[in-house]
Amino acid sequence: MTVLDVRDLEVHYGHRRQRRRALAGASLSIDAGEIVGLIGETGSGKSTFARAALGLVRPSAGRIVIDGEDVTGHRERQWRAVRRRGVVQYVFQDPLRSLDPDLTIGDSLMEPLLLKGVPRREAVDRARAYLGRVRLDDELLTRLPEQLSGGQRQRVAVARALITEPRLIILDEPVSALDAATRVQVLEILKDLRTAGIALLFISHDLGSVAGIADRVAVLYRGEVVEVGTAREVVTKPSHPYTRLLIGSAPTLRTAAAGRAERAALRELLHSGKGTPR
Amino acid sequence: MFSLASGRIAVVVLVGVGLLAVFGPLLAPHDPLATSPDTLVGPSGGHWLGTDYLGRDVFSRLLDGSRVSVVGALEVTVMALVVGAIPGILSVYLGRVFEWITLRVADTLVALPFLLFAVAVTALLGNGITQAMFVTGALVSPLFYRVGRAATLAVARSQYVEAALISGASLGWIIRRHVWGKVLPPIAVALAQTLGVGFIIVSSLSFLGIGVQPPAPTWGGLLAADLGYLSYQPWAPFAPALLIMVTVWAGNVLADAIRDVSGGAGRALADSRKAALVGGRA
Repeated sequence: MTVLDVRDLEVHYGHRRQRRRALAGASLSIDAGEIVGLIGETGSGKSTFARAALGLVRPSAGRIVIDGEDVTGHRERQWRAVRRRGVVQYVFQDPLRSLDPDLTIGDSLMEPLLLKGVPRREAVDRARAYLGRVRLDDELLTRLPEQLSGGQRQRVAVARALITEPRLIILDEPVSALDAATRVQVLEILKDLRTAGIALLFISHDLGSVAGIADRVAVLYRGEVVEVGTAREVVTKPSHPYTRLLIGSAPTLRTAAAGRAERAALRELLHSGKGTPR
Repeated sequence: MFSLASGRIAVVVLVGVGLLAVFGPLLAPHDPLATSPDTLVGPSGGHWLGTDYLGRDVFSRLLDGSRVSVVGALEVTVMALVVGAIPGILSVYLGRVFEWITLRVADTLVALPFLLFAVAVTALLGNGITQAMFVTGALVSPLFYRVGRAATLAVARSQYVEAALISGASLGWIIRRHVWGKVLPPIAVALAQTLGVGFIIVSSLSFLGIGVQPPAPTWGGLLAADLGYLSYQPWAPFAPALLIMVTVWAGNVLADAIRDVSGGAGRALADSRKAALVGGRA
Protein backbone atom coordinates (compact mmCIF):
# COMPACT_ATOMS: atom_id res chain seq x y z
CA MET A 1 0.00 0.00 0.00
CA THR A 2 1.45 3.33 -1.06
CA VAL A 3 1.03 6.19 1.43
CA LEU A 4 2.61 8.89 -0.68
CA ASP A 5 2.95 8.85 -4.43
CA VAL A 6 4.51 11.86 -6.10
CA ARG A 7 4.81 11.93 -9.90
CA ASP A 8 6.76 14.45 -12.00
CA LEU A 9 6.26 17.19 -9.45
CA GLU A 10 7.18 20.71 -10.52
CA VAL A 11 7.14 23.67 -8.17
CA HIS A 12 7.98 27.24 -9.04
CA TYR A 13 8.62 30.13 -6.69
CA GLY A 14 8.26 33.83 -7.46
CA HIS A 15 6.62 35.67 -10.30
CA ARG A 16 7.56 36.49 -13.85
CA ARG A 17 11.25 37.30 -14.14
CA GLN A 18 11.98 36.19 -10.59
CA ARG A 19 10.33 32.83 -11.24
CA ARG A 20 12.60 30.02 -10.11
CA ARG A 21 12.07 26.32 -10.52
CA ALA A 22 12.50 24.54 -7.18
CA LEU A 23 11.32 21.11 -8.29
CA ALA A 24 11.74 19.90 -11.85
CA GLY A 25 9.72 16.73 -12.21
CA ALA A 26 10.58 14.91 -9.01
CA SER A 27 9.01 11.49 -8.54
CA LEU A 28 9.01 9.34 -5.42
CA SER A 29 6.64 6.89 -3.85
CA ILE A 30 6.65 5.64 -0.29
CA ASP A 31 5.01 2.43 0.91
CA ALA A 32 3.41 1.86 4.30
CA GLY A 33 5.94 1.20 7.04
CA GLU A 34 8.86 2.10 4.84
CA ILE A 35 11.69 4.42 5.86
CA VAL A 36 12.88 6.49 2.94
CA GLY A 37 15.82 8.88 3.10
CA LEU A 38 15.71 11.95 0.88
CA ILE A 39 19.19 13.32 0.33
CA GLY A 40 20.23 16.51 -1.36
CA GLU A 41 22.36 19.57 -0.93
CA THR A 42 21.04 22.98 0.08
CA GLY A 43 18.72 24.29 -2.62
CA SER A 44 18.15 20.90 -4.21
CA GLY A 45 14.44 21.08 -3.38
CA LYS A 46 14.22 18.75 -0.35
CA SER A 47 12.17 21.11 1.76
CA THR A 48 10.03 22.14 -1.19
CA PHE A 49 9.27 18.48 -1.80
CA ALA A 50 8.12 18.10 1.82
CA ARG A 51 6.13 21.33 1.73
CA ALA A 52 4.36 20.27 -1.45
CA ALA A 53 3.42 16.93 0.13
CA LEU A 54 1.87 18.92 3.01
CA GLY A 55 0.04 21.33 0.72
CA LEU A 56 2.05 24.34 1.88
CA VAL A 57 3.20 25.11 -1.67
CA ARG A 58 1.17 24.54 -4.82
CA PRO A 59 2.75 22.46 -7.58
CA SER A 60 2.67 23.87 -11.09
CA ALA A 61 2.71 20.39 -12.62
CA GLY A 62 2.68 16.77 -11.53
CA ARG A 63 0.55 14.66 -9.27
CA ILE A 64 0.44 14.02 -5.51
CA VAL A 65 -1.54 11.12 -4.07
CA ILE A 66 -1.75 10.77 -0.31
CA ASP A 67 -3.08 7.48 1.06
CA GLY A 68 -5.10 6.88 -2.12
CA GLU A 69 -6.51 10.43 -2.31
CA ASP A 70 -5.41 12.62 -5.21
CA VAL A 71 -4.69 15.96 -3.55
CA THR A 72 -3.04 17.69 -6.51
CA GLY A 73 -5.81 20.16 -7.26
CA HIS A 74 -7.03 20.56 -3.68
CA ARG A 75 -8.05 24.00 -2.50
CA GLU A 76 -7.17 25.34 0.94
CA ARG A 77 -10.39 24.07 2.51
CA GLN A 78 -9.89 20.56 1.12
CA TRP A 79 -6.26 20.56 2.24
CA ARG A 80 -7.34 21.55 5.73
CA ALA A 81 -9.67 18.54 5.83
CA VAL A 82 -6.82 16.27 4.68
CA ARG A 83 -4.46 17.71 7.28
CA ARG A 84 -7.00 17.39 10.08
CA ARG A 85 -7.27 13.68 9.46
CA GLY A 86 -3.59 13.62 10.42
CA VAL A 87 -2.52 11.14 7.74
CA VAL A 88 0.74 12.98 7.07
CA GLN A 89 2.65 14.64 9.89
CA TYR A 90 5.80 16.68 9.96
CA VAL A 91 8.71 17.07 12.38
CA PHE A 92 10.79 20.22 12.13
CA GLN A 93 14.53 20.41 12.38
CA ASP A 94 14.66 22.78 15.31
CA PRO A 95 12.50 21.67 18.25
CA LEU A 96 13.06 24.99 19.98
CA ARG A 97 11.12 26.88 17.35
CA SER A 98 8.48 24.33 16.42
CA LEU A 99 6.79 24.45 19.84
CA ASP A 100 4.86 27.57 20.88
CA PRO A 101 6.86 29.03 23.81
CA ASP A 102 3.65 30.14 25.55
CA LEU A 103 1.85 26.80 25.37
CA THR A 104 2.46 23.95 27.76
CA ILE A 105 3.79 20.71 26.32
CA GLY A 106 0.35 19.22 26.91
CA ASP A 107 -1.39 21.93 24.91
CA SER A 108 1.09 21.63 22.05
CA LEU A 109 0.68 17.87 21.99
CA MET A 110 -3.09 18.04 22.04
CA GLU A 111 -3.39 20.64 19.30
CA PRO A 112 -3.63 18.20 16.35
CA LEU A 113 -6.21 16.14 18.27
CA LEU A 114 -8.34 19.14 19.19
CA LEU A 115 -8.21 20.26 15.56
CA LYS A 116 -9.33 16.78 14.56
CA GLY A 117 -12.31 17.15 16.88
CA VAL A 118 -11.23 14.77 19.64
CA PRO A 119 -12.85 15.73 23.00
CA ARG A 120 -10.43 17.46 25.35
CA ARG A 121 -10.59 14.81 28.07
CA GLU A 122 -9.67 12.08 25.62
CA ALA A 123 -6.97 14.32 24.12
CA VAL A 124 -5.34 14.72 27.55
CA ASP A 125 -5.25 10.93 27.97
CA ARG A 126 -3.77 10.45 24.52
CA ALA A 127 -1.16 13.17 25.15
CA ARG A 128 -0.07 11.35 28.29
CA ALA A 129 0.07 8.01 26.49
CA TYR A 130 2.14 9.35 23.59
CA LEU A 131 4.54 11.13 25.91
CA GLY A 132 5.20 7.71 27.40
CA ARG A 133 5.69 6.28 23.93
CA VAL A 134 8.61 8.63 23.29
CA ARG A 135 9.94 7.74 26.73
CA LEU A 136 9.12 11.00 28.45
CA ASP A 137 7.56 11.41 31.88
CA ASP A 138 3.98 12.66 31.80
CA GLU A 139 4.74 15.32 34.38
CA LEU A 140 6.21 17.26 31.44
CA LEU A 141 2.64 17.88 30.24
CA THR A 142 2.36 21.03 32.32
CA ARG A 143 5.84 22.34 31.51
CA LEU A 144 6.74 25.02 29.02
CA PRO A 145 9.12 24.25 26.10
CA GLU A 146 11.89 26.38 27.63
CA GLN A 147 11.95 24.09 30.65
CA LEU A 148 12.87 21.07 28.49
CA SER A 149 16.18 20.03 26.96
CA GLY A 150 16.65 19.94 23.19
CA GLY A 151 16.34 16.16 23.05
CA GLN A 152 13.20 16.19 25.18
CA ARG A 153 11.67 18.85 22.97
CA GLN A 154 12.40 16.90 19.81
CA ARG A 155 10.81 13.82 21.36
CA VAL A 156 7.77 15.96 22.17
CA ALA A 157 7.71 17.02 18.52
CA VAL A 158 7.83 13.36 17.46
CA ALA A 159 5.03 12.53 19.92
CA ARG A 160 3.01 15.39 18.46
CA ALA A 161 3.48 13.94 15.00
CA LEU A 162 2.50 10.45 16.21
CA ILE A 163 -0.56 11.44 18.17
CA THR A 164 -2.93 11.48 15.20
CA GLU A 165 -1.78 7.98 14.23
CA PRO A 166 -0.44 9.07 10.83
CA ARG A 167 0.48 6.82 7.92
CA LEU A 168 3.50 8.95 7.06
CA ILE A 169 5.77 11.27 9.02
CA ILE A 170 8.07 13.64 7.18
CA LEU A 171 11.14 14.53 9.22
CA ASP A 172 13.30 17.46 8.15
CA GLU A 173 16.79 16.89 9.55
CA PRO A 174 15.21 15.75 12.82
CA VAL A 175 18.44 15.01 14.64
CA SER A 176 20.93 17.47 13.20
CA ALA A 177 20.27 20.01 15.96
CA LEU A 178 20.86 17.40 18.67
CA ASP A 179 24.02 16.16 20.33
CA ALA A 180 25.27 12.65 19.67
CA ALA A 181 23.73 10.97 22.74
CA THR A 182 20.24 12.45 22.28
CA ARG A 183 20.52 11.77 18.55
CA VAL A 184 20.77 8.06 19.29
CA GLN A 185 17.74 8.22 21.60
CA VAL A 186 15.60 9.92 18.97
CA LEU A 187 16.77 7.56 16.22
CA GLU A 188 15.90 4.57 18.42
CA ILE A 189 12.36 5.92 18.82
CA LEU A 190 12.07 6.45 15.08
CA LYS A 191 13.21 2.90 14.36
CA ASP A 192 10.47 1.62 16.69
CA LEU A 193 7.90 3.28 14.45
CA ARG A 194 8.68 0.95 11.60
CA THR A 195 7.12 -1.93 13.48
CA ALA A 196 4.00 0.20 13.98
CA GLY A 197 3.61 0.42 10.19
CA ILE A 198 4.26 4.14 9.99
CA ALA A 199 6.22 5.28 6.95
CA LEU A 200 8.98 7.84 7.45
CA LEU A 201 10.42 10.27 4.95
CA PHE A 202 13.75 11.25 6.41
CA ILE A 203 15.12 14.43 4.84
CA SER A 204 18.80 15.22 5.19
CA HIS A 205 21.74 16.78 3.42
CA ASP A 206 23.94 14.06 4.78
CA LEU A 207 23.82 10.53 3.38
CA GLY A 208 25.56 9.12 6.43
CA SER A 209 22.84 10.17 8.86
CA VAL A 210 20.19 8.45 6.74
CA ALA A 211 21.95 5.35 5.42
CA GLY A 212 21.82 3.57 8.79
CA ILE A 213 18.07 3.87 9.22
CA ALA A 214 16.55 4.09 5.75
CA ASP A 215 15.23 1.14 3.72
CA ARG A 216 15.61 3.17 0.56
CA VAL A 217 17.48 6.33 -0.27
CA ALA A 218 16.44 8.89 -2.87
CA VAL A 219 18.91 11.48 -4.10
CA LEU A 220 17.52 14.87 -5.08
CA TYR A 221 19.62 17.02 -7.38
CA ARG A 222 18.50 20.30 -8.94
CA GLY A 223 14.85 19.55 -8.31
CA GLU A 224 14.91 16.02 -9.67
CA VAL A 225 15.14 12.63 -8.01
CA VAL A 226 18.20 11.34 -9.81
CA GLU A 227 18.64 8.08 -7.97
CA VAL A 228 16.53 5.76 -5.83
CA GLY A 229 17.67 2.51 -4.33
CA THR A 230 18.42 0.67 -1.13
CA ALA A 231 20.92 2.45 1.07
CA ARG A 232 23.51 -0.21 0.20
CA GLU A 233 22.96 0.13 -3.54
CA VAL A 234 23.23 3.88 -3.47
CA VAL A 235 26.37 3.85 -1.39
CA THR A 236 28.20 1.04 -3.14
CA LYS A 237 26.95 1.39 -6.71
CA PRO A 238 25.92 5.00 -7.30
CA SER A 239 24.75 5.40 -10.88
CA HIS A 240 24.37 9.17 -11.12
CA PRO A 241 27.51 11.32 -11.19
CA TYR A 242 26.09 13.60 -8.49
CA THR A 243 25.59 10.66 -6.13
CA ARG A 244 29.14 9.55 -6.84
CA LEU A 245 30.36 13.01 -6.04
CA LEU A 246 28.23 13.12 -2.88
CA ILE A 247 29.66 9.83 -1.67
CA GLY A 248 33.14 10.62 -2.90
CA SER A 249 33.13 13.90 -0.99
CA ALA A 250 32.32 12.33 2.35
CA PRO A 251 35.37 11.92 4.55
CA THR A 252 35.78 8.19 5.10
CA LEU A 253 38.30 5.53 5.98
CA ARG A 254 36.96 3.24 3.30
CA THR A 255 38.54 3.08 -0.11
CA ALA A 256 35.15 3.78 -1.71
CA ALA A 257 35.84 7.48 -1.58
CA ALA A 258 36.69 9.02 -4.89
CA GLY A 259 40.11 10.48 -5.52
CA ARG A 260 40.71 14.16 -6.02
CA ALA A 261 41.03 13.83 -9.80
CA GLU A 262 37.90 11.73 -10.04
CA ARG A 263 35.89 14.28 -8.03
CA ALA A 264 37.07 17.06 -10.28
CA ALA A 265 36.01 15.06 -13.31
CA LEU A 266 32.58 14.44 -11.81
CA ARG A 267 32.10 18.13 -11.08
CA GLU A 268 33.08 18.92 -14.64
CA LEU A 269 30.51 16.44 -15.92
CA LEU A 270 27.76 17.90 -13.70
CA HIS A 271 28.48 21.47 -14.67
CA SER A 272 28.48 20.65 -18.36
CA GLY A 273 24.74 19.96 -17.90
CA LYS A 274 25.01 16.42 -19.27
CA GLY A 275 24.83 14.95 -15.81
CA THR A 276 21.81 12.72 -16.33
CA PRO A 277 22.89 9.57 -18.15
CA ARG A 278 19.63 7.67 -17.94
CA MET B 1 1.20 44.33 36.46
CA PHE B 2 -0.10 44.76 40.01
CA SER B 3 3.23 43.71 41.43
CA LEU B 4 4.64 47.13 40.60
CA ALA B 5 3.77 49.91 43.02
CA SER B 6 3.58 52.62 40.37
CA GLY B 7 1.32 50.45 38.22
CA ARG B 8 -0.94 49.89 41.21
CA ILE B 9 -1.18 53.62 41.89
CA ALA B 10 -1.96 54.24 38.23
CA VAL B 11 -4.75 51.69 38.33
CA VAL B 12 -6.19 53.34 41.46
CA VAL B 13 -6.08 56.75 39.76
CA LEU B 14 -7.74 55.43 36.62
CA VAL B 15 -10.43 53.69 38.64
CA GLY B 16 -11.00 57.02 40.42
CA VAL B 17 -11.30 58.80 37.08
CA GLY B 18 -13.71 56.10 35.93
CA LEU B 19 -15.87 56.57 39.04
CA LEU B 20 -15.79 60.31 38.41
CA ALA B 21 -17.09 59.68 34.92
CA VAL B 22 -19.93 57.51 36.21
CA PHE B 23 -20.99 59.46 39.27
CA GLY B 24 -19.52 62.93 38.61
CA PRO B 25 -22.58 64.43 36.93
CA LEU B 26 -24.77 63.17 39.81
CA LEU B 27 -22.52 64.71 42.45
CA ALA B 28 -22.47 68.19 40.94
CA PRO B 29 -23.81 70.58 43.65
CA HIS B 30 -25.10 73.10 41.10
CA ASP B 31 -26.61 72.93 37.64
CA PRO B 32 -23.48 73.05 35.43
CA LEU B 33 -25.31 75.11 32.82
CA ALA B 34 -27.11 77.56 35.13
CA THR B 35 -25.73 81.08 34.90
CA SER B 36 -25.81 83.59 37.74
CA PRO B 37 -24.91 87.25 38.23
CA ASP B 38 -21.89 86.25 40.37
CA THR B 39 -19.36 85.99 37.52
CA LEU B 40 -15.69 85.22 38.05
CA VAL B 41 -16.00 84.73 41.80
CA GLY B 42 -13.15 83.08 43.67
CA PRO B 43 -13.49 79.81 45.61
CA SER B 44 -15.95 79.91 48.48
CA GLY B 45 -18.19 77.63 50.53
CA GLY B 46 -20.95 77.94 47.91
CA HIS B 47 -18.66 77.58 44.87
CA TRP B 48 -15.66 75.42 45.79
CA LEU B 49 -13.76 76.31 42.65
CA GLY B 50 -15.46 79.64 42.05
CA THR B 51 -17.56 80.62 39.04
CA ASP B 52 -16.70 81.29 35.41
CA TYR B 53 -17.35 84.31 33.21
CA LEU B 54 -21.07 83.44 33.01
CA GLY B 55 -21.36 82.81 36.72
CA ARG B 56 -21.54 79.03 36.32
CA ASP B 57 -20.18 76.84 39.12
CA VAL B 58 -16.76 75.57 37.96
CA PHE B 59 -16.70 72.57 40.29
CA SER B 60 -20.07 71.37 38.97
CA ARG B 61 -18.93 71.88 35.39
CA LEU B 62 -15.77 69.90 36.05
CA LEU B 63 -17.73 67.00 37.55
CA ASP B 64 -20.35 67.12 34.83
CA GLY B 65 -17.75 67.28 32.08
CA SER B 66 -15.82 64.27 33.31
CA ARG B 67 -18.23 61.79 31.76
CA VAL B 68 -17.97 63.24 28.26
CA SER B 69 -14.21 63.55 28.59
CA VAL B 70 -13.65 60.00 29.80
CA VAL B 71 -16.12 58.47 27.36
CA GLY B 72 -14.36 60.43 24.62
CA ALA B 73 -10.99 59.04 25.65
CA LEU B 74 -12.43 55.53 25.77
CA GLU B 75 -13.89 55.99 22.32
CA VAL B 76 -10.47 56.96 21.06
CA THR B 77 -9.13 53.74 22.56
CA VAL B 78 -11.82 51.62 20.96
CA MET B 79 -11.19 53.33 17.64
CA ALA B 80 -7.50 52.55 18.01
CA LEU B 81 -8.26 48.86 18.49
CA VAL B 82 -10.95 48.45 15.87
CA VAL B 83 -9.60 50.70 13.13
CA GLY B 84 -5.93 50.23 13.96
CA ALA B 85 -4.80 47.08 15.74
CA ILE B 86 -7.24 44.57 14.25
CA PRO B 87 -6.64 45.56 10.61
CA GLY B 88 -2.94 45.50 11.50
CA ILE B 89 -3.16 41.87 12.59
CA LEU B 90 -5.33 40.94 9.62
CA SER B 91 -3.02 42.70 7.15
CA VAL B 92 -0.61 39.80 7.60
CA TYR B 93 -3.25 37.23 6.66
CA LEU B 94 -5.82 38.68 4.32
CA GLY B 95 -3.68 38.74 1.21
CA ARG B 96 -1.62 41.24 -0.70
CA VAL B 97 -4.41 43.56 -1.84
CA PHE B 98 -5.72 44.17 1.67
CA GLU B 99 -2.16 44.53 2.94
CA TRP B 100 -1.21 47.06 0.26
CA ILE B 101 -4.33 49.17 0.68
CA THR B 102 -4.18 49.29 4.48
CA LEU B 103 -0.47 50.07 4.46
CA ARG B 104 -0.98 53.00 2.09
CA VAL B 105 -3.95 54.28 4.11
CA ALA B 106 -1.90 54.10 7.30
CA ASP B 107 0.99 55.96 5.66
CA THR B 108 -1.37 58.64 4.41
CA LEU B 109 -2.94 59.13 7.82
CA VAL B 110 0.47 59.47 9.45
CA ALA B 111 1.31 62.26 7.04
CA LEU B 112 -1.79 64.31 7.92
CA PRO B 113 -1.30 67.35 10.19
CA PHE B 114 -3.81 66.49 12.90
CA LEU B 115 -5.38 69.80 13.91
CA LEU B 116 -5.54 71.04 10.35
CA PHE B 117 -7.18 67.76 9.35
CA ALA B 118 -9.65 68.14 12.23
CA VAL B 119 -10.59 71.63 11.11
CA ALA B 120 -10.90 70.48 7.49
CA VAL B 121 -13.17 67.56 8.43
CA THR B 122 -15.33 69.89 10.51
CA ALA B 123 -15.56 72.35 7.64
CA LEU B 124 -16.48 69.55 5.26
CA LEU B 125 -18.77 67.34 7.33
CA GLY B 126 -20.03 69.75 9.93
CA ASN B 127 -19.31 69.86 13.63
CA GLY B 128 -20.28 67.08 16.02
CA ILE B 129 -19.14 64.16 18.13
CA THR B 130 -19.20 61.74 15.17
CA GLN B 131 -16.90 63.91 13.12
CA ALA B 132 -14.58 64.39 16.08
CA MET B 133 -14.39 60.62 16.58
CA PHE B 134 -13.64 60.18 12.89
CA VAL B 135 -10.76 62.59 13.24
CA THR B 136 -9.35 60.94 16.35
CA GLY B 137 -9.70 57.50 14.82
CA ALA B 138 -7.70 58.69 11.84
CA LEU B 139 -5.09 60.07 14.18
CA VAL B 140 -4.54 57.08 16.44
CA SER B 141 -5.18 54.14 14.12
CA PRO B 142 -1.87 54.20 12.16
CA LEU B 143 0.15 53.64 15.34
CA PHE B 144 -2.00 50.68 16.33
CA TYR B 145 -1.99 49.35 12.81
CA ARG B 146 1.81 49.35 12.90
CA VAL B 147 2.06 47.85 16.38
CA GLY B 148 -0.47 45.10 15.61
CA ARG B 149 1.10 44.33 12.25
CA ALA B 150 4.70 44.24 13.50
CA ALA B 151 3.85 41.96 16.40
CA THR B 152 1.85 39.64 14.14
CA LEU B 153 4.56 39.49 11.49
CA ALA B 154 7.02 38.27 14.08
CA VAL B 155 4.71 35.39 15.04
CA ALA B 156 3.17 34.61 11.66
CA ARG B 157 6.33 33.23 10.11
CA SER B 158 7.19 31.10 13.11
CA GLN B 159 7.46 27.35 12.90
CA TYR B 160 4.84 26.65 15.54
CA VAL B 161 2.28 28.52 13.43
CA GLU B 162 3.33 26.40 10.47
CA ALA B 163 3.08 23.30 12.65
CA ALA B 164 -0.48 24.28 13.55
CA LEU B 165 -1.21 24.86 9.88
CA ILE B 166 0.10 21.39 9.05
CA SER B 167 -2.25 19.98 11.66
CA GLY B 168 -5.15 21.63 9.82
CA ALA B 169 -5.59 24.81 11.88
CA SER B 170 -7.77 27.54 10.41
CA LEU B 171 -6.85 31.21 10.39
CA GLY B 172 -9.15 31.86 13.34
CA TRP B 173 -7.56 29.07 15.36
CA ILE B 174 -4.04 30.33 14.66
CA ILE B 175 -4.89 33.90 15.65
CA ARG B 176 -6.75 32.84 18.80
CA ARG B 177 -4.24 30.29 19.98
CA HIS B 178 -0.83 31.41 18.75
CA VAL B 179 -0.96 35.06 17.66
CA TRP B 180 -3.28 36.90 20.03
CA GLY B 181 -1.38 36.13 23.24
CA LYS B 182 1.86 37.46 21.78
CA VAL B 183 0.40 40.49 20.06
CA LEU B 184 -1.62 41.62 23.07
CA PRO B 185 1.18 42.91 25.36
CA PRO B 186 2.55 45.50 22.89
CA ILE B 187 -0.99 46.55 21.99
CA ALA B 188 -1.89 46.88 25.68
CA VAL B 189 1.10 49.16 26.20
CA ALA B 190 0.09 51.33 23.25
CA LEU B 191 -3.51 51.35 24.49
CA ALA B 192 -2.62 52.53 27.97
CA GLN B 193 -0.58 55.31 26.43
CA THR B 194 -3.39 56.23 24.08
CA LEU B 195 -5.82 56.48 26.98
CA GLY B 196 -3.73 59.44 28.08
CA VAL B 197 -3.42 60.80 24.57
CA GLY B 198 -7.18 60.38 24.16
CA PHE B 199 -7.81 63.00 26.86
CA ILE B 200 -5.46 65.39 25.15
CA ILE B 201 -7.12 64.78 21.78
CA VAL B 202 -10.65 65.26 23.13
CA SER B 203 -9.45 68.25 25.11
CA SER B 204 -7.62 69.88 22.22
CA LEU B 205 -10.61 69.31 19.97
CA SER B 206 -12.99 70.93 22.46
CA PHE B 207 -10.37 73.64 22.92
CA LEU B 208 -10.82 74.33 19.20
CA GLY B 209 -14.57 74.00 19.53
CA ILE B 210 -14.74 70.73 17.61
CA GLY B 211 -16.77 67.79 18.85
CA VAL B 212 -18.48 68.50 22.14
CA GLN B 213 -20.47 71.69 21.72
CA PRO B 214 -20.76 74.49 24.27
CA PRO B 215 -22.32 75.01 26.70
CA ALA B 216 -21.81 71.30 27.51
CA PRO B 217 -18.65 71.20 29.65
CA THR B 218 -15.54 69.10 29.06
CA TRP B 219 -12.18 69.26 30.81
CA GLY B 220 -10.53 70.66 27.74
CA GLY B 221 -13.36 73.11 27.14
CA LEU B 222 -13.11 74.36 30.72
CA LEU B 223 -9.41 74.85 30.33
CA ALA B 224 -9.97 76.83 27.14
CA ALA B 225 -12.59 79.07 28.77
CA ASP B 226 -10.42 79.64 31.85
CA LEU B 227 -7.49 80.70 29.74
CA GLY B 228 -9.56 83.55 28.31
CA TYR B 229 -9.92 85.05 31.79
CA LEU B 230 -6.42 84.37 32.97
CA SER B 231 -5.87 88.00 34.02
CA TYR B 232 -8.91 87.90 36.33
CA GLN B 233 -8.45 84.39 37.72
CA PRO B 234 -4.90 83.21 37.20
CA TRP B 235 -5.51 80.08 39.35
CA ALA B 236 -8.61 78.94 37.44
CA PRO B 237 -7.01 76.65 34.77
CA PHE B 238 -5.31 74.75 37.59
CA ALA B 239 -8.19 72.35 38.38
CA PRO B 240 -9.02 71.06 34.86
CA ALA B 241 -5.33 71.02 33.91
CA LEU B 242 -4.51 68.96 36.98
CA LEU B 243 -7.26 66.44 36.19
CA ILE B 244 -6.04 66.01 32.63
CA MET B 245 -2.41 65.76 33.73
CA VAL B 246 -3.03 63.18 36.44
CA THR B 247 -5.09 61.00 34.14
CA VAL B 248 -2.57 61.16 31.33
CA TRP B 249 0.20 60.41 33.81
CA ALA B 250 -1.70 57.38 35.12
CA GLY B 251 -2.19 56.10 31.59
CA ASN B 252 1.51 56.41 30.86
CA VAL B 253 2.60 54.80 34.11
CA LEU B 254 0.21 51.93 33.49
CA ALA B 255 1.67 51.52 30.01
CA ASP B 256 5.18 51.35 31.46
CA ALA B 257 4.09 48.82 34.05
CA ILE B 258 2.49 46.61 31.40
CA ARG B 259 5.61 46.84 29.27
CA ASP B 260 7.85 45.93 32.20
CA VAL B 261 5.93 42.79 32.98
CA SER B 262 4.87 41.90 29.44
CA GLY B 263 7.76 39.46 29.23
CA GLY B 264 5.82 37.49 31.78
CA ALA B 265 2.47 37.97 30.10
CA GLY B 266 2.84 34.83 28.08
CA ARG B 267 3.88 33.00 31.19
CA ALA B 268 0.76 34.09 33.04
CA LEU B 269 -1.29 32.86 30.11
CA ALA B 270 0.45 29.50 30.16
CA ASP B 271 -0.02 29.24 33.92
CA SER B 272 -3.75 29.73 33.59
CA ARG B 273 -3.86 27.05 30.91
CA LYS B 274 -1.76 24.81 33.08
CA ALA B 275 -4.35 25.14 35.83
CA ALA B 276 -7.05 24.22 33.33
CA LEU B 277 -5.09 21.17 32.24
CA VAL B 278 -4.49 19.96 35.79
CA GLY B 279 -8.15 20.56 36.51
CA GLY B 280 -9.09 18.45 33.49
CA ARG B 281 -7.01 15.59 34.84
CA ALA B 282 -8.89 15.35 38.14
